[in-house]
Amino acid sequence: MRKMKPLRQLLSQLALGLIGIYVIIPIWGILRLTFDGAIKSRATEFHWFPKEFSIQPFLSALDRPYQTASFMTLFQNSMLVSVSAALAAVVLGISLAYAFARFRFPGRQTGLFVILLTAVLPPIAFTTPLYLLLSWMQLRTTLLGLAIVYAAFAMPFCVWNLRAAFQAIPKELEEAAFLDGAGYFTTFWRITLPMAAPSIAVAALIAFLMAYSEFTIGWLFVEKTETVTLAMSIYAILTSGSAQPWSQIGALAILMSAPVVVIFLIFQRTLLERMMFGTTTD
Amino acid sequence: MNKTIRALLYLIYTLLVFAVAFGLRTYAANNLSIDYDEDDYLRAGQEFAHLIKTDNWSGFLETNYRPEHPQLAKIMFGLSIVGLPEKPLIADLPITANPVSTLPPDLLAAARNMSAIWGSLTAMLLALINPLGGLILAVHSFTIKYTSQVMLDGFASLMSTAAAVTYYLSKGKTGKTKSVFLIASAIFLGASASSKYLHSAVGFAILIDWFLSAREANETKKFFRNAFLWGVLSLAAFFVFNPFYWPDPLERIQVTYEAVSTTTTNPNVEKANLPTWQPFIHLSSSVPVFWNEEGFLFRVDGIIFIFAILGIAQTWKKNRFIAIWLFVDLFILLIWRTKWAQYILVATAPLSFVAAEGIKSTGANLVEWWQTRHQRGKEAVKPSRTETVRAIPWLMPGLFAFLVLTIFPLLFQIAISIISLDGNSLRDGFQGGIWREFWGGVLGQIEPNNLARDGKVHYIGFQWYREIFNWINAMGMPFFNTMWTVISVTLQTVLGVGAALLLWQRGIKFRKGWQALFILPWAIPEAIGAMLWLNVFVPLWGWISLAVKKIGPLTPLEFFTNWERSPDTAFLVLLVVALWYGFPFMMLAASAGLKLLPQEVFDAAAIDGASAWQTFRYITWPLIMPLIVPAIIIRAIFAFNQFYLFQMFYFVNPDFNMRTLASLSYFLVYDWRDFTASAIINIITILFLVVLIVLFNRWSKAGEGVTYA
Repeated sequence: MRKMKPLRQLLSQLALGLIGIYVIIPIWGILRLTFDGAIKSRATEFHWFPKEFSIQPFLSALDRPYQTASFMTLFQNSMLVSVSAALAAVVLGISLAYAFARFRFPGRQTGLFVILLTAVLPPIAFTTPLYLLLSWMQLRTTLLGLAIVYAAFAMPFCVWNLRAAFQAIPKELEEAAFLDGAGYFTTFWRITLPMAAPSIAVAALIAFLMAYSEFTIGWLFVEKTETVTLAMSIYAILTSGSAQPWSQIGALAILMSAPVVVIFLIFQRTLLERMMFGTTTD
Repeated sequence: MNKTIRALLYLIYTLLVFAVAFGLRTYAANNLSIDYDEDDYLRAGQEFAHLIKTDNWSGFLETNYRPEHPQLAKIMFGLSIVGLPEKPLIADLPITANPVSTLPPDLLAAARNMSAIWGSLTAMLLALINPLGGLILAVHSFTIKYTSQVMLDGFASLMSTAAAVTYYLSKGKTGKTKSVFLIASAIFLGASASSKYLHSAVGFAILIDWFLSAREANETKKFFRNAFLWGVLSLAAFFVFNPFYWPDPLERIQVTYEAVSTTTTNPNVEKANLPTWQPFIHLSSSVPVFWNEEGFLFRVDGIIFIFAILGIAQTWKKNRFIAIWLFVDLFILLIWRTKWAQYILVATAPLSFVAAEGIKSTGANLVEWWQTRHQRGKEAVKPSRTETVRAIPWLMPGLFAFLVLTIFPLLFQIAISIISLDGNSLRDGFQGGIWREFWGGVLGQIEPNNLARDGKVHYIGFQWYREIFNWINAMGMPFFNTMWTVISVTLQTVLGVGAALLLWQRGIKFRKGWQALFILPWAIPEAIGAMLWLNVFVPLWGWISLAVKKIGPLTPLEFFTNWERSPDTAFLVLLVVALWYGFPFMMLAASAGLKLLPQEVFDAAAIDGASAWQTFRYITWPLIMPLIVPAIIIRAIFAFNQFYLFQMFYFVNPDFNMRTLASLSYFLVYDWRDFTASAIINIITILFLVVLIVLFNRWSKAGEGVTYA
């Protein structure tokens, strides 16, 4: 590897350093609050570092972060809702995706356009009607209702992605299995599905993350504290301007988003590819 | 066709444009209520009419009521009322006063009709060089409004359009004819400047185009001589048309300057607190109904604006001068401090020309699409019967779920959008009201009922669509949403590609470390990211505010305190956050592309002595484009739908207008329980996204993977 000229190296490092500062400022801002035991409500003085280093904010956040709800309730709700939404979206999406990937049938082009369109719509576009429909069915304020809403948000994206995944599997493999006497379903179950498993897992992961980090819209589907999710509680504490210390809000935010960040860092290539709707080639 | 007949037909057509324009303008002149400033210019007209009647010609040297504007257009208003019996002088009110309730009706009518004639002549003049463009200008509602009230812009834009048209016509001519046209354009320019200063922007456009053309013909020397003479001539014309400047030009410039300073900094300007991009909001929406309920047969400015966007590329290729004219005018509007709606008349003439080109090229595209439909039908993959049969069992379960979860809600939304459903009528709605009114309305058994507020659901038909669209348009939301998408994604792309290029250099140190750091914002959920920045920016107790409090004012950081009070700085702050959140994705996409590039190409370029910029422009960028474009499209869709950022910042930046449609829709459901309005906003969003997808699909083959392959 050729060496860079020192001046160019220096200038490049300076430029990268500037971007680095830009990236780090808000993160550092919340970290310094979170580990500060001296903050009673809002920050009142400028400091680079915590005035009184403490992990107390984390302990309080793990105790009763939002009204009467314990951290475990919030977390459980988050997991329950997100996992069931992701499962529903993927399981229900698989067959549709497979049909669009493999068969030529009338209306296919239109169907693809509709799926793509629904995949790029903002979630709120489904929310208004779902609010009414679920109220009507008296499911609106239940965890099941919330899971249905999040599944509806995630499903178009999952279908679109899984279609790309199925298309990437050579058709010849299926034909060979078929010639060997396997039925259509056996071929799918034994050959196609296992090969698509990694992509399916990633689609499910994205659907999970969509639901897990949904902060705002869920509030339309909740009336009692028992059905609030972790992300929603953060939004509520923030926008209600409550007296909760910011160090504690920060701690809650970190607890909530740390797993997401870790997942992103581990799976960055795959997630990038999936989020680009399968257009990256490498 | 015979040349004479053609010329005759053309003449008839331009007269027809005049007739249409004049009809619409007189209709408006008779129906519009009295607006700000009309009393001022009518009073100025009275003064000049009095001078003319009393043969007091030297009075022209001293008379200039409202000296922030030059005299000529006011003198014209004087001429319009000189034949009428004199009335006591209209009261001199402070500049911040509300519109007066009455003005002498005969004077007002005469002056307004004069204004209408100027406006109609402008449309006719434009029709000379672009028939469709003239017609568009004739029906443009903001142009109609300010050329049928006692406003200076009517005469000023007639003069500036005349300057542009004569220059435009001079381009194809040679010798004496060319000189005559150029002299005329200089005089018209002088006249437009002496009607309203801002309208002289067209002069800069002429000079730029003239220079560019001369450079292409290697005649720059000749250009400087001629342009100098031309400029002196137009200045002289300005001086001649403004007797006010004759006694002591320098002192009078001083007077004008002071008057302009007071008008651009008066409390009304402060109170309005309009964003820099406000002219675009006016241009992209028609005259709001709540300004003037009467006076317009139709309001289609928004459509004209959209066609202008579609036509700009074509105009740049075919009629560069017109494109420059539009750009210069828009630039002036952006930097001018006062943002009142009448100023956009500076730009509506070129805008109409460009919109006409947009309509033509869109029409041509549609015709082509229609003509090639058979060919495309042959190329398309034919459905096969056996496959259709085999597809059915696969389609069934997924399709069922998809229909229930996704399609049905969207269709249900259309039903809600034509009935009135809010928090009060929800109970009735669930007890069968929704279906009763929806089917009753669709089948024509129930008359639309817009007004009843009795806690019951009512069929309202499609009329709310227009009202809601006008409402959000008057607030500039569709424009804001589009501008937000374009600017934030552009910034993200620049920084993302820049960072990727920096990290891609051979031998760069700490590459892995930097990359891992830069990815963080992408990995953090959007709402948490917004919250992190909130902690930095929030007024009074944010990091920046605390830092300013500690270090003291007058640091550069102070710029970022009080940002929530002005739409411009609030926009900047939101962009800072959006850039932070979005650039890593672009960086990753660009890095993935850069990794695939063969090093030999760059070695070859280096040997050939290509500069860094050339290497990027002609080698790197084209090669990574296929990966960047899909990423841009995804970010653009994301930015268009941006939600959490606006939700989180809303409680410190309660500028209602500055939000995306997605965020507005949530607000309507959550805060107002107005399900109908929210559903309509959602449907508008869906239409926008359909257009976006179709455009992206056309824009680049690289987008194919994103749209349907």
